[in-house]
Amino acid sequence: MIMMAEENKTVHTVPSDAEQIPIVWRYEFLKYLRSWRLLASIGIAVLVLTLIYVIPPALGHPYSGTDSDQTLSLVPAGAFQVGGSGGPVPVAAALLDRSNIDSSSVAIFLNGTAYPSSNGANWFVSNVEYGGQNVWAVFFVEDVSGDTVTATYDWQTSPESFAGNFLGFASLLVVICATFFGADSLVGEFQNRTGYLIFPNPLKRWVLYAGKFAASMTAGGIVVVLFYAGIGVLSLVSAGGVDDDFLLSLGFAALYLMAAMAVAYLISTVLKGTTGATVLTFFLFVMIMPIVDGISSIAGTKIQGSLTFAAGVIGYILNDPYPTDASQTFPGGMSIQSYYPDPATAAVVMIAYAAIAIGLSMYLFKRKQLAG
Amino acid sequence: MIEIQNLTKSFGPIKAVDNLSLKVQKGTTVGFLGPNGAGKTTTIKILTSLITATSGRATLNGIDVLTDPKGALGHVGAVVETPEFYPFLTPVETLAYLGGIRGMSADEIKVRTNEVLHQVKMDEWRTTRIGKFSKGMKQRVAIAQALLHEPDIIILDEPTSGLDPRGMVEVREVIKDLKRQHYTVFMSSHLLGEVQETCDAAALIDHGKLLVYDDIDALSRQTKVVKMEVKTVNDVTDALLGRVRSMASVRGADRVNGRTFVVTYEGAHDERADLLVSIQKEGAKVSEFSSVGLPLEMLYMDLVKESR
Repeated sequence: MIMMAEENKTVHTVPSDAEQIPIVWRYEFLKYLRSWRLLASIGIAVLVLTLIYVIPPALGHPYSGTDSDQTLSLVPAGAFQVGGSGGPVPVAAALLDRSNIDSSSVAIFLNGTAYPSSNGANWFVSNVEYGGQNVWAVFFVEDVSGDTVTATYDWQTSPESFAGNFLGFASLLVVICATFFGADSLVGEFQNRTGYLIFPNPLKRWVLYAGKFAASMTAGGIVVVLFYAGIGVLSLVSAGGVDDDFLLSLGFAALYLMAAMAVAYLISTVLKGTTGATVLTFFLFVMIMPIVDGISSIAGTKIQGSLTFAAGVIGYILNDPYPTDASQTFPGGMSIQSYYPDPATAAVVMIAYAAIAIGLSMYLFKRKQLAG
Repeated sequence: MIEIQNLTKSFGPIKAVDNLSLKVQKGTTVGFLGPNGAGKTTTIKILTSLITATSGRATLNGIDVLTDPKGALGHVGAVVETPEFYPFLTPVETLAYLGGIRGMSADEIKVRTNEVLHQVKMDEWRTTRIGKFSKGMKQRVAIAQALLHEPDIIILDEPTSGLDPRGMVEVREVIKDLKRQHYTVFMSSHLLGEVQETCDAAALIDHGKLLVYDDIDALSRQTKVVKMEVKTVNDVTDALLGRVRSMASVRGADRVNGRTFVVTYEGAHDERADLLVSIQKEGAKVSEFSSVGLPLEMLYMDLVKESR
């Protein structure tokens, strides 16, 4: 007889709720490790990194090089905010259209003849703010407007600009993770009938929820961190460093992942089918909410409470200085507003979405019955 | 011990369980019978916290499953319907997961996993992902997980569903083992023979109401309706069947083949003797006769017919 006699049975003490969460997390995460979803998400991240990194140089836009005999367009120097005092006062300036310039390599030519800097007495190069952005410019002390001015200089894509190329995809990657790891996580227990196995156990629904959510966040977090790690390595190689706000961007991406995952879980508790939950989650973030954001630009109303609008901070946070709201009026009087999320407000919005969606979905999951 | 008191579950205007009260004493194996839609699975779902009750009380070892499901289910093993498993996990991993939730140590899980998988004849599939399993194999793993932590109470919802005849026999043997060891087992089934073979007592419900609940022997004695198969040496004619149907105590008579028919009647030995005499008087040359069907089946049919 294999089964132990009843009087010899071991009495088990059911673990506390806190002890059960890691158990649920472990096996839920194991599911992701063995499913195609985690591999597919990582594959998408690697593919995007490769494409964004390889395609620009292949199309003739390398990440560093030398611009030779570039004709400069002069504008009055007063348009720029030039710091410092006591030096020569420039009368004209010209933009160098690269995100990072090796200032020591700059050579200026007037009508094809070398025009030395003479320690800044004739011209100097500076990184200044212009139109809300940091730019490189040559400032001329003498009036050279009657001459053809050309420049030769070494340049390299700045870490900020380099990472910015990739971070436009970070939000979409987060949405993909929320869709893959969150959208059917709860509804699947009902539709796939696995609830018949797991629910008749000494396990509170919120504990199951917490373990599942932690596993979903772990899987999504791995994908996002790998994506950022890839950008970081490529940035070190091609831009000579990593932007100082890079980790802050990762922090916002993690917050967005938590908020998007929570919304995905909420959809997963409300809908009855895995397909519907998956489709709705994806299109909510890539179509429905962005449409609302787009309309807000036309309507002239900044919707700070939009989660996808707040997610814009993931890319914008690298900009130095941080972009400010602007308005552009077109012929005919129509104007389009360019809105940028305030970083602090964006963080609050993401946390609020996460908190409300987690609370609501946990409540609904607890009440949902396996009646079918 | 399982105790159900005035349990009601409504789905809109439909009462799936209607003021049901039932007590399963510790150490007994009780079959839970009823036709489709009678409320068996709904009752079991309430007992296993898959759904809530509209009113009433259900306790497992004295703990109310409606108010403290974690406490109540701590020493319960259950198989409800045919559960699906996480396809990416193997039986060993699934049992480790559930054992961990139930408070078993890693060593205990290892030992018991070997035992229960052997018991349900799934040893050779222990490290194969469950996604590849047939329904019958999943049902075996489901039974294994219910037994894993040696629970005080075992709740089984049609435990032989999906199994081949050999698997059914093996599962019945498992249930008989549990019965011999005085586990408390509450088991729903459509198979009356299975209940009669494995259970100490049976509860019969229909329309969510309890019709009868007693020991199997007592229920057998209550059976009023009996079926008898009669073989004759001459042909069974429609005229003969018509005359048999009109006899006192006879509820029905149906031809099985040219020289065999089954007569359903109310009564015991005396009534059967009288009936046989009457049948022969009507011209049938009876060569053989025998009772067919189980007493519990007769009672079931009788009570369900009455309740409808």
